[in-house]
Amino acid sequence: MAPGGYFGRVLIADVCGAGATATTMPIPEEVLRAYLGGVGLGTWLMHRLAPAGVDPLSPEAPLAFVFSPLVGTPLTTSAKFAVVAKSPLTGLLTDALASSQFAIAGKMTGHEAIVVRGRAETLSVLLVDETGVRLEPTPELAGLSAADAEVKLRERFGRTWRAAVIGPAGECGVRYATISHDGRHAGRGGLGAVLGAKNIKALLVRAAGKATVADPDAVLAVARDLRERSFGPATAKYRELGTLGNLLAFNAVSTLPTRNFTASTFEGAPRLAAEELHELRTVARNSCASCSIGCEHIYSRKGGGQQRMEYENVFALGPLCGVSDPDDVFAASAAADELGVDTISAGGTIAWAMECVERGLLDEPWLRFGDGQAVLRALDAIGTRSPGLGELLAQGSRHAAATLGAGSGDFAPHVKGLEMPGYEPRTMQAMALGLAVNSRGADHNRSGAYEADLSGDLDRLTGGPAHVAAAIGTEDRAAVMDSMILCKFLRGIFTDHFTEWAGLLAPVTGWQVDADELAAVARRIVTAKRAFNLREGATAADDTLPTRLLETPLPMGSGRTATLSRETLRGMVQGYYAARGWDDAGRPTPAQTEDLLLA
Amino acid sequence: MDAAGIVLAGGRSSRMGTPKAALEWHGSTLLHRTAALLARSLSGPVVVVAAPGQELPPLPSGVRIAFDPVEGRGPMQGVAVGLAAVAGEAETAFVTSTDLPFLHPAFVHRVLEVLQTSPADVALPFARGYRQPLAAAYRIGLAALIAKLLTEGENRPGQVYRHCEVRVVEEAELLADADLARLDPDLDSVFNVNEPADYAAARARPAPQIVVECFGALVGADRPRKQTVAAATLGSAADAIGLALNAHVVAALNGDRITRDPGLPLVTGDAVAFLSADAGG
Repeated sequence: MAPGGYFGRVLIADVCGAGATATTMPIPEEVLRAYLGGVGLGTWLMHRLAPAGVDPLSPEAPLAFVFSPLVGTPLTTSAKFAVVAKSPLTGLLTDALASSQFAIAGKMTGHEAIVVRGRAETLSVLLVDETGVRLEPTPELAGLSAADAEVKLRERFGRTWRAAVIGPAGECGVRYATISHDGRHAGRGGLGAVLGAKNIKALLVRAAGKATVADPDAVLAVARDLRERSFGPATAKYRELGTLGNLLAFNAVSTLPTRNFTASTFEGAPRLAAEELHELRTVARNSCASCSIGCEHIYSRKGGGQQRMEYENVFALGPLCGVSDPDDVFAASAAADELGVDTISAGGTIAWAMECVERGLLDEPWLRFGDGQAVLRALDAIGTRSPGLGELLAQGSRHAAATLGAGSGDFAPHVKGLEMPGYEPRTMQAMALGLAVNSRGADHNRSGAYEADLSGDLDRLTGGPAHVAAAIGTEDRAAVMDSMILCKFLRGIFTDHFTEWAGLLAPVTGWQVDADELAAVARRIVTAKRAFNLREGATAADDTLPTRLLETPLPMGSGRTATLSRETLRGMVQGYYAARGWDDAGRPTPAQTEDLLLA
Repeated sequence: MDAAGIVLAGGRSSRMGTPKAALEWHGSTLLHRTAALLARSLSGPVVVVAAPGQELPPLPSGVRIAFDPVEGRGPMQGVAVGLAAVAGEAETAFVTSTDLPFLHPAFVHRVLEVLQTSPADVALPFARGYRQPLAAAYRIGLAALIAKLLTEGENRPGQVYRHCEVRVVEEAELLADADLARLDPDLDSVFNVNEPADYAAARARPAPQIVVECFGALVGADRPRKQTVAAATLGSAADAIGLALNAHVVAALNGDRITRDPGLPLVTGDAVAFLSADAGG
């Protein structure tokens, strides 16, 4: 019998031609306890199910939708799921989280995860419920946005089905296409292209029952406590302004990447700031299912309509491209959602292209920093992979720079192929390390080392051992949060993280789990991701940052100049390997590998 | 600025009648303010030089103590001990006594800039009618020379200066620096408190005017985004706008240093940004 919160099995759906078959894969309790669920269990599944060296866009490449022990419980922010695969953008492991009813319905099909393999002969949707799997052709959905497709799917299959859907960019293989559910996106790494390569427009799930927990009364008690705490000051920023509240503050401390990382402050930032937009526009708030924070802020658009705005999409489609007109940024964000592309990768790739134009490397004279209409035009070209520029930029900045050459790789804003989020590494050197070593590539959700940079506990401009410790700490905490799964916007309410999280897991699962065990789980998940990437050809040379960031000093708004040398970063990376117990090339020991339970 | 800071705390304070290092200054002490001022101004180490066995008030985090092995040899002994304590960690140091309550970072930077752009061993301000050997910049390598001269009985600054290259910096040259001219036009940086009346007068001066800006959720109906307050420390700036410097709030000083230290001294020209510490997104 599976422990509380689990079913103890994974469903593997093999799609072939016009049909699909289901296989049940039992998951031993030892593995569940070692990886929890979400990103952790997804990583283990990729080790087991992804053939070494598999082409991420081939039928053999598995795509896993992974749930967690907390999904379906009353614990706030627990209605989340992870999507895990080998990334067509990085060629390495990628995972992305999304949330809401799909997570609950997906788990209540009776599985810890649903893994999709194969390829349909026509554009189809895959349906999973207690009766098994089936494939339904849906040619009428071709070219539709995820949101429009969800409406059509509800009309055709009924409201009890929940859908994870791709947009046109996923259908045509844009390497940073997203998978969406209810307006929220599993955004990073091109998971939408993986699903699109299987000719599957959507995965639909329908709940069959309820999950049981080990101690329902105790779960209710900890859920009540967690909910109360979620209303406190640690989440005020998310409730009151949302993540866009970062923008003006980051500008004030020279951490707002601007014009493809050539500056760290943006003169147009006040126009794009949440503080300003809240005064000038109607703003609605929304939340995921089972969430008491309510971080989503949905702004009215000029000329009608609404758009949900977050820091990352505004940063990437605004300052990074030099665009300061909020209506242009709103329009670009809406276009990215409709096409189904990751806004960070889209903005980073377009900003790179703008700099190429500025340097005379790319003959697209209309594509200039500061031109919001140019961003829209570029997005349209990307979303349909139109010949020429669209095809080039649909590959992401690393592949595009490799195609264009002429030194353009030096300023392509990516790590391991994944475009960089809105945290300037030269003025946030704990974050610089976090970005460099993370298995997913340049990523702010699997490594939140910016917390340390903005804490005042270390010198954010001088990377060293304290930055290594900070980066490891946030990476470990993220590994557990992303596997339990809880929303990271809750993290500020915890003080003794692993102890408190053990206190949430224990009544759900019935395990006598403690902080030490969760710390070991964290290390194991980080190591498992690393091991997967090494298997797929990654090396220590990939744990770095773009040349520009290591060779070009950055003027700060304060008048100081921030510098991050190659030697400083290398020293931190080596310190990181050592602290992880890996060798000088970043390889885990045999004992660590054995602990991954992959045999 | 890339240099060390040295604070001489071991003076006898005979005219003051009580140890000057421990005099109250806006919630902390004069010594704390001076050491913290150097720490916020310089990227190198900051060392407080104390007399043998001297009890010191609490110091800012990271500030080190070097005890003078010999008492009564005068300030150049303290300079030598301080320079020796930071050998190998910086090329130059700003040396100050503990009793300059209005020392401004712009003054520190200007004097160090003069030294760092000249071949001299010492940049010696001549301000408010006096040479200022304890508001001056020294090359770290002078430690051995000064120590040797002290053993030979040459323990006054003027005697030491005869053996090295001294660059005297007149007021006009100091004030040629636009920042210093704007922020400390009267060179109050070298105003020292020797007697109780000096201290009372200094303490009676209003705190500097600080531009305070709040971001995100810290802005409220009774807390505007931007305002100017009188505050000598970060803690008093937060108090002035009704903000608790707790785990959920950090401050950025002049868009640069991130801190939660309520004892951080503030000076004329400072701008403080209060941010939410929960910065993710």
